[in-house]
Amino acid sequence: MHRKRGIILNTIIIFSFFAVSLRLVDLMVFEHRRLAERAKLQHVKVEEVQVRRGAIFDRCGRELALNIELESLYCDPENLGPDHENLKRLASTISREPHAVLARITTGGRFAWIERKLEPSIAEKVRALNIKGLGFIKEAKRFYPKGELAAHIVGFVGIDNQPLEGIELRYDKYLTAIGGKVSLGRDANGKTLSGGVNKEAKGNNLVLTLDEGLQYIVEKEIEKAVVKWRAKAATAIMMNPYTGEILALANSPAYDLNSPGKASGFERRNRAVTDCYEPGSTFKMIVGTAALEEKIVRPDTLFDVSRGGIDVGRKTIRDAHRRGVLTFREVIEKSSNVGSVMTGIRLGKERIYKYAKLFGIGEKTGIDLPGEVSGWIRPPEKWSGTSLGAIPIGQEVAVTPLQMVRAYAAIANGGFLVKPHVVSEIISPEGQVLVSFKDKEKKRILSQSTADTFREILKGVVAEGGTGEKASLHDFDVAGKTGTAQIIDPQTKRYSKEKYVSSFVGFVPADEPKIALIVVVYEPRGQIYGGEVAAPVFKEIVDKSLTYLTSPREDNHYKNLLLVSR
Amino acid sequence: MFSLFLIPLCILLLLLGMFGVVWVRASVVKLEYKIGELEKKKEECLRAKRMLLAEKASLLSFERVEASMGKDRRFIFPERARVVHVEKQKEPQPYKASLEKKQPGQP
Repeated sequence: MHRKRGIILNTIIIFSFFAVSLRLVDLMVFEHRRLAERAKLQHVKVEEVQVRRGAIFDRCGRELALNIELESLYCDPENLGPDHENLKRLASTISREPHAVLARITTGGRFAWIERKLEPSIAEKVRALNIKGLGFIKEAKRFYPKGELAAHIVGFVGIDNQPLEGIELRYDKYLTAIGGKVSLGRDANGKTLSGGVNKEAKGNNLVLTLDEGLQYIVEKEIEKAVVKWRAKAATAIMMNPYTGEILALANSPAYDLNSPGKASGFERRNRAVTDCYEPGSTFKMIVGTAALEEKIVRPDTLFDVSRGGIDVGRKTIRDAHRRGVLTFREVIEKSSNVGSVMTGIRLGKERIYKYAKLFGIGEKTGIDLPGEVSGWIRPPEKWSGTSLGAIPIGQEVAVTPLQMVRAYAAIANGGFLVKPHVVSEIISPEGQVLVSFKDKEKKRILSQSTADTFREILKGVVAEGGTGEKASLHDFDVAGKTGTAQIIDPQTKRYSKEKYVSSFVGFVPADEPKIALIVVVYEPRGQIYGGEVAAPVFKEIVDKSLTYLTSPREDNHYKNLLLVSR
Repeated sequence: MFSLFLIPLCILLLLLGMFGVVWVRASVVKLEYKIGELEKKKEECLRAKRMLLAEKASLLSFERVEASMGKDRRFIFPERARVVHVEKQKEPQPYKASLEKKQPGQP
């Protein structure tokens, strides 16, 4: 009896297992593909990989551009419903007009953005409203912790993190990363299982040559100058004369990088590289060094400028003050137009053009910023009868402030033309240096002796009696040159008698330069001369910058001061 | 007699094996849930860290520092010419006795 029961039980169990096995074979072999696809749809969630742009740092590792994560508000219009009370509450919470919110909701479809990248506090308030049909999506937002600082260099991105200006635009291919999608498992409740995959892609980081401290000093000083002289705008560039590293580059007016939409095109202009001006007397350096290099003049060569003017073609070039006989050194120190034109005539137009080109006039410097213009100088065959009188004093030539500071850096560094740049290194998210721009090429354009001679002459410009006296420091030798240029009035097509560009360009300490600096003030009122408007700004900037750099005073030996050290 | 016990035993083992497989699989899923939750927490922490870093960078900007110092009126920028830097003294070190012969020029 027991045996019979055992056989029946065994048979039932075996048949049951056989039936289960058959069903399993059916499910796992014959129906596999169809069922696997159905299961995948239910259990797999596809998520976008979050792309985080690389950060931007100054030369000391201070953050200039970072990423934060904010929530964006969307709605499903079908679920939201036409509740006007809710709409009003929502609109007031996100500081929008109800009709503007309604317009976004009624675009059709089952998804509509209401507000992108909300402040965390506002997102919390919206959440507290508890309105059905609203949802949040986390999005990466570019954040510029220093606000206006270095705005024209760093640039900014759009709402979808697309690059629009500055370094953000120029180095976008390094800063951004390729996104894509990842598949994650989830259960019936929508709970996500760990897929063990990376859900974010990071771009490379950039280290700039800028120094936040120097940038701050430069920005504050040119801002003060614009207010003081009620000027239209101002620009300043500070550069390492030996390497071409841009230590600071500022334009006034500036704008807040966190709300670039509020700034006008005028404020967003990076005049340092995109705007040309006639350099005026600062251009005399190019003609002067050319004459020295070609051995046409020596520092003590005499020029009779007692007439106070010189006729070139149909034009008479005059000096601001009538002087007698000047040495070549004095021609530069006193910024004599007549003496400079006489030098230019001795040099000849071919050689003036050749040296202007050697100094990079009329050509882009190749700085790694978008929108650089080349400036302008006509080839000698296209010069007019008056050009030989105009070009040696910086007229009929258009330059950018960057070209001029680079030209003066060549005097500072002993005769080399350097390539300006603002990015020093590109670093991978793991911290590996991918590209280093530290060893930049430089080209010799002048002999050491010419550069040294002209350096001494430029020191005289800032000494007592020179046009740039107001740029002098009591404990450091400064070398530089003032410039005052007229602006062509677009209506009359003639030089305006009211609109000028005042500039000062030089380097300090004169004998062992640490910084080359140009200050350009556009259309100042009350005063027009570079020595009055731009030179004091130059002085303030270098004075504070040398403190910041803790440069030892040059006069500590003969004034018996304590050794300066850090 | 032997086969009478062997077959149920095999079936039992098979059942136990299947249960084991299901149990292991369930444990893996449970672990995945846990890891998923921890990953979420990690993401939240990283998010908070990013926000704090951004805030720190913003607070440390020269403009903010100068503005806060100006308010308190306790700090002023000194004139550079009046600033005298004194060479930092080296920390006093214990005297080291050595049998090694001094090189010329060595103190």
